[in-house]
Amino acid sequence: MKFRAKIVDGACLNHFTRISNMIAKLAKTCTLRISPDKLNFILCDKLANGGVSMWCELEQENFFNEFQMEGVSAENNEIYLELTSENLSRALKTAQNARALKIKLTNKHFPCLTVSVELLSMSSSSRIVTHDIPIKVIPRKLWKDLQEPVVPDPDVSIYLPVLKTMKSVVEKMKNISNHLLGFIHLKVGTKYPGDFSHFSFNPIVLTIRGQFSQVIEANLDGELNLKIETELVCVTTHFKDLGNPPLASESTHEDRNVEHMAEVHIDIRKLLQFLAGQQVNPTKALCNIVNNKMVHFDLLHEDVSLQYFIPALS
Amino acid sequence: MAAMLKCVMSGSQVKVFGKAVQALSRISDEFWLDPSKKGLALRCVNSSRSAYGCVLFSPVFFQHYQWSALVKMSENELDTTLHLKCKLGMKSILPIFRCLNSLERNIEKCRIFTRSDKCKVVIQFFYRHGIKRTHNICFQESQPLQVIFDKNVCTNTLMIQPRLLADAIVLFTSSQEEVTLAVTPLNFCLKSSNEESMDLSNAVHSEMFVGSDEFDFFQIGMDTEITFCFKELKGILTFSEATHAPISIYFDFPGKPLALSIDDMLVEANFILATLADEQSRASSPQSLCLSQKRKRSDLIEKKAGKNVTGQALECISKKAAPRRLYPKETLTNISALENCGSPAMKRVDGDVSEVSESSVSNTEEVPGSLCLRKFSCMFFGAVSSDQQEHFNHPFDSLARASDSEEDMNNGSFSIF
Repeated sequence: MKFRAKIVDGACLNHFTRISNMIAKLAKTCTLRISPDKLNFILCDKLANGGVSMWCELEQENFFNEFQMEGVSAENNEIYLELTSENLSRALKTAQNARALKIKLTNKHFPCLTVSVELLSMSSSSRIVTHDIPIKVIPRKLWKDLQEPVVPDPDVSIYLPVLKTMKSVVEKMKNISNHLLGFIHLKVGTKYPGDFSHFSFNPIVLTIRGQFSQVIEANLDGELNLKIETELVCVTTHFKDLGNPPLASESTHEDRNVEHMAEVHIDIRKLLQFLAGQQVNPTKALCNIVNNKMVHFDLLHEDVSLQYFIPALS
Repeated sequence: MAAMLKCVMSGSQVKVFGKAVQALSRISDEFWLDPSKKGLALRCVNSSRSAYGCVLFSPVFFQHYQWSALVKMSENELDTTLHLKCKLGMKSILPIFRCLNSLERNIEKCRIFTRSDKCKVVIQFFYRHGIKRTHNICFQESQPLQVIFDKNVCTNTLMIQPRLLADAIVLFTSSQEEVTLAVTPLNFCLKSSNEESMDLSNAVHSEMFVGSDEFDFFQIGMDTEITFCFKELKGILTFSEATHAPISIYFDFPGKPLALSIDDMLVEANFILATLADEQSRASSPQSLCLSQKRKRSDLIEKKAGKNVTGQALECISKKAAPRRLYPKETLTNISALENCGSPAMKRVDGDVSEVSESSVSNTEEVPGSLCLRKFSCMFFGAVSSDQQEHFNHPFDSLARASDSEEDMNNGSFSIF
């Protein structure tokens, strides 16, 4: 198994550092999958993570100007490593004014990912900083659990509002609530001209599961509401004009009852952790809800895709 | 005529003074105010005796500096000079010197003086419009310890800009216990010392190589790798923010202490840190003078074989095991007191004495190699007393000659008003 890669472009290095920071916020331990064209940061949906799973993918040629890898075998030309995410992000943080950054797989007493940075300094000689990050090589037989998750057909798909705003709202609601109840009103409105001449919006009927619940309700008219209810107080935040992407399989929904609500309970802390990881507003942010099953966030940070799955509370 | 101190500073001088206190607080929870003709020294030592800090403000640093010692005339014409024995807790002092930038801007004058009759140090800040802030802090009567270390005989000397050290420090997490400095005549490397944590599969090992041309002065007599405590390294960096002088590093072989110094004519700061000795054929002494309390012995015995006791003194593990006592271990001077019967300066007769004698005796019996270790330990500290001469003739001889600054202090009796 071999891996060597090098970044010399400052912008690429910064972007890679930001991605690594984001991963560190989303998953304490994660799997790094190295293949000839891509790098993936993977969190699989084990019980330990509370069923949350993550799949982050980047094209290596967008970052590295040198990239060589040799997988486990010719047929399985991939490498799966487990590492503590923060170790990588901290190592990259020290590379801020680097002339070059090299990453390679090494074995110094134990397997490591060695990050080696050549820093600009005021004198003629550069400073060289090296970080040996301990890793665990994941054996072939466990790879099947670390494959790209299949995205089920969503019941509703909607673009998210500015994540920072969403995060501050959810943060405040977290203090009151532990469960997040997701409602999606499948309202076919003015998006489908000719079918309906009016748009109606059914505000709320919630089945409150658990003592505290938060509601996300959204419709196909680009409206999303975040809501919590307690015995004493009910707080709602409305987001409008968000827009909906075209549904992939529209045909199957034609004969559905338009009043049908898709709802899912999720743990608000997991939602908050996801939002906290997004330091920069993404290029694209989509939210897909599968009734009673899960919410799937699909983000794009420039050229890096991130998918994050939060399951329904059982 | 009691021993006393009185000094006055301006706003910007207070900032430097405050930074010195903050830097020393990285080493210990208490420090001594030690005035002399050379100036006002702030001294501290950590609980495991593996680090010592001293910041000496020369008399010309202050707007006004005045001090006195108490002279005791005795019949046999051996006058003894008793200096101010003033130990203060960091907990009391640090809050007074907070917000140094605003202090620098807003105060017109700061006055510090002692009142020996009440064992108090008074710190006064004079603001505009006649506003005055006064702090009265009780001090403990305690003999300051000082280190005996001659920087000039060190084989390896470096002088660096504080910026370089600051850049190196960010590589390591705050949980990093020890760092290793590795030098050759051509380059310099600071790296995390993960000797203990080899088994810990999660520790990142970091290194930074710096070329010799980044140094203001780079003289390496021999290739060396020495390991010392990371936290204390940060202490001198704190102080370097107050001055703009470069940091000098003096060191030799592993086991011999390392000195970090800043000298900008008015203020001289020295941090002396113990370093981990090589794992040589020295018997690992289960006891050390540094840690002569019974409790410490059991800690040491559990340590890995082959590790030199001085290393044990260094390892912060021993510091954690050591309860923070009000008195740092003053057993070293107690020991010399035993040998030097009748030394008037060694007045600490507490319960420790009996334990101390045990340990010094058992040391000689059990551990043949320990004499070297004891030399190392004793080299570290001597009391500031009039008996310095006798102390040196003592079998616990220093490995390094003291620099003149420490010796000359008490060669005569003097009092200044």
